[in-house]
Amino acid sequence: MSVNHNNIWEVAEAYLSGSLPQDQIIEIKDCLAADTVFANEFYEITNLIRSVEGSGKQKRFRGMLRDIHAQQQTAAAPKKAKLIIFTPQFWKTASVAAGVAILTSTITIWSINASIKRHESQYNTISREVGAIKKVQAQQQAEQANLKEMVNKASKHTPPPSDVKYSGTGFALTNDGYFVTADHVIHHDGKGDFDSVYIQTHDGQYYKANLIFADNTKDIAILKVEKKSFRFGKGELPYTFTAAKAGLGSRIFTLGYPKDEEVYDEGYISSRNGFNGNNMQYTLELPVGHGQSGSPMLDEKGNVLGILAAVGSQDEANTYAIGTKALMELLNDQLPDQKTIRLPKANKLSRLSRAEQIEKMENYTFSVKVYKK
Amino acid sequence: MQSQLNNEQQLLAALAAGERTATERIYQQHYHIINGWLINNGGSSADAADLFQEAIVVLYGKAQEEDFRLTCSIGTYLFAVSKHLWYKKLQQQNRGPAILQSNIGGDEDEIEIAYEDDINVHTEREAHYEQLDSALDQIGEPCRSLLKAYYHHDKSMQEIAADFGYTNPDNAKTQKYKCLARLRKLFYTMQAK
Repeated sequence: MSVNHNNIWEVAEAYLSGSLPQDQIIEIKDCLAADTVFANEFYEITNLIRSVEGSGKQKRFRGMLRDIHAQQQTAAAPKKAKLIIFTPQFWKTASVAAGVAILTSTITIWSINASIKRHESQYNTISREVGAIKKVQAQQQAEQANLKEMVNKASKHTPPPSDVKYSGTGFALTNDGYFVTADHVIHHDGKGDFDSVYIQTHDGQYYKANLIFADNTKDIAILKVEKKSFRFGKGELPYTFTAAKAGLGSRIFTLGYPKDEEVYDEGYISSRNGFNGNNMQYTLELPVGHGQSGSPMLDEKGNVLGILAAVGSQDEANTYAIGTKALMELLNDQLPDQKTIRLPKANKLSRLSRAEQIEKMENYTFSVKVYKK
Repeated sequence: MQSQLNNEQQLLAALAAGERTATERIYQQHYHIINGWLINNGGSSADAADLFQEAIVVLYGKAQEEDFRLTCSIGTYLFAVSKHLWYKKLQQQNRGPAILQSNIGGDEDEIEIAYEDDINVHTEREAHYEQLDSALDQIGEPCRSLLKAYYHHDKSMQEIAADFGYTNPDNAKTQKYKCLARLRKLFYTMQAK
């Protein structure tokens, strides 16, 4: 798609949203430098789109502020009884999760244990917050506003149509919402379908996601966050993808969600092929926990080499990852409806320290929660 | 729901993304301070609501910037911006002190100037958006409703196609680009005047 008079709006829109492929960005930059008439037109158009988008966002934000104000003002005298709402709900969750836990098998990493932990800690979080509120807010009204906020939060940001059944990790493919995880996180090794999938980003927000395509032999699932205006971060993805097989002994690291918090692990490639000699996989020496399926495996420069998939049985401490090559093949040949997903081409991590790399990646890796009745 | 909005940087990032939980928390932590101050300085609760919401919008706008950094706490920032906005309003009504009453000097003057800058940027942006809105109002149907549905109400192309009777989202999208082209003409003609 080269730029011409007919598609300039479409190109400008894609350019602003960061979904334009690298080669076209270069083409446009060349045009901008060479052709001042085109440059003026392009700037005018991008400015206009930016303004309309910004103005719309700000209007929604103002609307939300008015709503919050009204809600916090109408908060009546405190009713302590409201707290009780949480208790039965969480007991139920915990017991369902405990029931599920009996099914645990050791082969894959998706974790049921992790979901129990998560529920327990949710409970803790709530009680801790109530304590903090009492300390900080002397005024009764303010206290009530706080309780009300929590009730709202519970209903808005814990969206389960049913309880979390499985959880894993996912990471972004494009800034506008496409992401990848392991297929078994979503489909539980082919044992039935899910009701819905949400991601929970590192700042605690939930977003609903839809399945775009899944391949259970490759063990890869591609999903997209439903909300149209969703972006993982302010800029393009910081990491890039490398399909070529990395050498034996290469140092690698991963970020995942085996528990509430993001966890970092590092290790090395211990064999160039995976489980039973599968050449689409790597075998790793890497300590991983339940819930880390679907995490990115990166080399030291921030290139994604693969997706964490499985651990061997307990006496065999290997970890397996699906190579990026399998992901690339899937993106090139198997996506439905002529969808195209363009992977990021500019690496922003290669010169950073590990701590800085991790910080940059936080917005782009998240917990994936699968709900099923 | 392990909300990790505990530190201010996370709160600000969530605010920049327009997330409700974070915004609620900021509102509820700081509103009463501004309300209390304003009542002692000749304003009403209604004034306080307007003022505080405007100050949060200033912060929201500033937080959109790529290299955004806040040199003070959210509370300090909102309070300072609210004060500035209030004095500005009084000044416009010719019944207040022309100069900010403050007995601080030295380094803190620079901070005061920074608030002033942020407010100026905000005022300019508001004027710009206002012009855009008036262009949008003159553009005619169905463009006005279509662009509002997409940009102001965050509707998807699928919803818009269904609401406006287009056979598919692609047709609606083509129409959107045509409308944007008209908006551009109108807007830049208005600006030239």
